[in-house]
Amino acid sequence: MVVKIRLARFGRRKAPFYNIVVAQARTARNSKPIEVLGTYDPIPKPPADGEGKPFKDIKLDTARAKYWLGVGAQPSDPAWRLLSMAGLLVPKYRPSAKPTPTPASSIPEASGSADKEVNAVV
Amino acid sequence: MPPPLRSPSVLSSTPCCAYQLCRTTGQSSRPFSTTPRHDQRVTRARRGLFRWLTAQGENFRNPLSGSTNYMGAYDNRSGMLRRVLELREQIILDSAERGEASAEKELSAVMNKGLPPESTRDRMPFPLNKAFVSQAVLSDELREQIWSRVMREGQSVREVSAKLRVEMSRVGAVVRLKEIEKEWKRIGKPLARPYARAVMSMLPTTPFDPENLIPHESINDLPVHASTGQQIFHPTSESRHFTRLDAAKVFNKRLLPADDRIPHPELVIQHRERVVEELTVEERKERAELRAAEAEEKRKKIANKQAQAEARVKKVESDRWEFRFTPINADDAGKDGRGQSGVGWRYGVPLYDRSRGQVKIPTSVG
Repeated sequence: MVVKIRLARFGRRKAPFYNIVVAQARTARNSKPIEVLGTYDPIPKPPADGEGKPFKDIKLDTARAKYWLGVGAQPSDPAWRLLSMAGLLVPKYRPSAKPTPTPASSIPEASGSADKEVNAVV
Repeated sequence: MPPPLRSPSVLSSTPCCAYQLCRTTGQSSRPFSTTPRHDQRVTRARRGLFRWLTAQGENFRNPLSGSTNYMGAYDNRSGMLRRVLELREQIILDSAERGEASAEKELSAVMNKGLPPESTRDRMPFPLNKAFVSQAVLSDELREQIWSRVMREGQSVREVSAKLRVEMSRVGAVVRLKEIEKEWKRIGKPLARPYARAVMSMLPTTPFDPENLIPHESINDLPVHASTGQQIFHPTSESRHFTRLDAAKVFNKRLLPADDRIPHPELVIQHRERVVEELTVEERKERAELRAAEAEEKRKKIANKQAQAEARVKKVESDRWEFRFTPINADDAGKDGRGQSGVGWRYGVPLYDRSRGQVKIPTSVG
């Protein structure tokens, strides 16, 4: 069975909050995962000094995320987006970049197939 | 000289109006009205009112120049200022002792110099409410002085507050408002000067005198904390040295002792060094420098800690948002994933936030 890195939606109605989890692909979304890698709060908070962009908080255990990617865990698209921002993966979809084929060696082996499947969900 | 509050025509007509209102019962401006005219019946209270208006009430038509003009300052019978009456009695007594008969001359000579200084009693707007005393406001010179000390000389708010005896929050407010005033002057926005002058002439003010600084208010009052509002009987052994530090802990584990909660703890230390320990000026200066250095070190330590925490956060900008990646340790959640220090929504732990009786609005502000 495939092990995935994905988001589990918690929080309340209109107040989403995600756990970034490592789980078996076929288990329910909010079931107990193999491991919780971190959290993602998608509700933007206003900047403290009133200047700059609103920010979104992400907490992530980079070392564990690297380990799971190394042993073949497959990130879902939203998880891929977050992990690529953290610098663990090559971004799948960049509106500004030209659609050039990414070298397979620079990303984990699972990314090759995932790349072809979805290209524009970020 | 402040402008008079009413126009002269109204002034001259008021007394006769008062008599008319008091006497008129037959004629009415509303001949077809069916409302009973209880309010215009001549009663004892009504007569008393108009008697008062013509005697003491006359004093409040125009403000006294160079003094406040509150009801508490006047004698009930004669309708004269109490301090003037007292002064007259004093002068008459003095002259009788000396065997002279020029009391009236002396009084008029004294009065020409100005009214005698007002006391707390003269600052009671409501004679029946003795607890209500009109408090002095900052004079314009004092406010200007506060602003220049903070903004021009760069003194800290704490320092200025301690020297001029004005509360720190008030010093902050004065500086902010003065800044606005100066900005308005700069852009040519009109200021309500006549209004300000009229109000200031009617209120007691704290003047600014560099030689003889007059304290404006008590600046080192202990703020009342909600935790200290309860009465606690705390048993403790007789041999225990029970200090304010312990008392604070009894009230609330996180409550600071009273010595740290007052606005100016440094004033207490300075006073102790000067009066109790009787240190010389040099020694006190040395200690003050030591304290300042310690405080600075503490501040730097906290700032360093914050900067380190900030440096650990990785910031990624997108078009609309800034994503902040905070590193965590997944093992903090413990073996069963339910540890208190772990991040994220916890599994297998019920959330009671939707059950009855849960107060979600914060009941206290930290």
